[in-house]
Amino acid sequence: MANSILIHNPRAPFSQGSGLKASVLDHLAGKVVGFIDNTKPNFNHLMDDLAVTLLEDYQVRSVIKRGKRVQSIPAPSAVVDELVAECDLVITGSGD
Amino acid sequence: MVAVEICSSAFVNLGRSQARALGYENLPIAVVPHPFGTVDRQIVRQFAEKCACDIVALVCLPPVTETLEDYQPIIEDVQGAAELTIEHAPNLMIAFNRLCRDRFWSDGLPVMPTTREAVSAMLAQTKRPPQQVVARLAPGFGVATVECIAINAVLAGCDPEYMPILLAAVEAMATQRFNLQSIQSTTNPAAVWLIVNGPIVERLGINGKFNCLGEGVWANATLGRALRLILRNVSGALPGEMDRATQGQPAKYSFCCAENEGESPWEPLHVERGFSSEQSTVTVVGAEGTMNMCTLVKEADELIRVIGSTFRHPTSNEYVHGAEPWLVLCPEHADILHEAGYTKSEVKRRLWEASKMQASELSKEDMSRLQSSRTTELGVIGADTLLPISHHYEDISIIVAGGSGAHSVYVPCFGNTRSVTVAIASDEN
Repeated sequence: MANSILIHNPRAPFSQGSGLKASVLDHLAGKVVGFIDNTKPNFNHLMDDLAVTLLEDYQVRSVIKRGKRVQSIPAPSAVVDELVAECDLVITGSGD
Repeated sequence: MVAVEICSSAFVNLGRSQARALGYENLPIAVVPHPFGTVDRQIVRQFAEKCACDIVALVCLPPVTETLEDYQPIIEDVQGAAELTIEHAPNLMIAFNRLCRDRFWSDGLPVMPTTREAVSAMLAQTKRPPQQVVARLAPGFGVATVECIAINAVLAGCDPEYMPILLAAVEAMATQRFNLQSIQSTTNPAAVWLIVNGPIVERLGINGKFNCLGEGVWANATLGRALRLILRNVSGALPGEMDRATQGQPAKYSFCCAENEGESPWEPLHVERGFSSEQSTVTVVGAEGTMNMCTLVKEADELIRVIGSTFRHPTSNEYVHGAEPWLVLCPEHADILHEAGYTKSEVKRRLWEASKMQASELSKEDMSRLQSSRTTELGVIGADTLLPISHHYEDISIIVAGGSGAHSVYVPCFGNTRSVTVAIASDEN
């Protein structure tokens, strides 16, 4: 054991997960869908196209589109509160 | 309510890791091909059709039973600050460094063994208990305990006396206005720059003079490096995973200096920010890089003109968002401005005016980003709009650092970040 040393691990403990399961919906018909545009290029177009498709092909009742001022800050809490209160499904953009 | 995230394929690991770090490991993620932001409008329509199907499948069908093991883990789930044993190694330094390479604990350079004795010496520099939580650091939201900070300080080669600076720096990075989340996970090369002020500079030999942004001084090199190791090992941002920097920059190895208070004609940074001159402080800055400005100009307004002209560039994040540009003035340039009768505040005001850039300099796509970001601040933005680099002239930050010579440095910041200055606790040691 002369060549043995104990060393500390520099890693911090990370979340091991909450065990939360993803929620599911039976279908989208009649549901309200919200979007948060992260302002990355083309997400506004993707959001617009998805909204049309979800309304026309999946009978979504209505769509609420909201955004952030810029991608590198969180959505305003008022936007989050509104979407949580009004929507059955919220779709957000992340990264590029 | 059900949530779905959309990522391009290059950013799925970031999305997964962040969701897991925030306790929502089963967050449904719909994926569009990367690159996404540069494709034509028609291609987006094609992506949207597929994406809509994917979203419906993700939220309207029972989720596939999956565990974290389904993903290639980017962070080894070792528990806290456990102790590991290397046995029977013929050369302990080689064995330790091999372990650090294998576990991605290092920045790529050799590191120092985190022995019990070395960590204890580091912890002896603070009265805080080892398990006290200093902060949770984005984007992985690892828990930065006093002990964990000490371990990474040892790893970087810090002297024990540097520990109070790191404790303060971690607190500073965790403040909301610093926006560590974005600094760590952005494609931008942003690095965290440490600026130390006050009596601790001389006591610990932190360089604010010749080559202060370069190599050669133990305190500068190891303090900046320790912070980077904390950002890897505690906040969990590993390159290509949660750290999405396209290229990064050399300052991500280490970026630390002192202000050259003795050769500054003005009040130093920490006094400007309300601290006593006898209080030692550390400032964290989300820095995008360094741009050297060599000019032999002798007239103050001409010096301001050429610096302002250097600030202007159409690919600048600072003009798009209104930021906090940093200026490291060499003592010779600072003296020119001071001898013209300018206070530091007056230099900022004149520089703010001299650095305004016409919006038409930006590309069409960046103009769109600009309008999204600054219309509330500036009103309607057109091609003729003159853009200030920051919301207010006082947002330009200035320190005096360096040795003799006519070189000052422009340090553009990441954009949506604001520097934070905190006191280094005097009773830490």
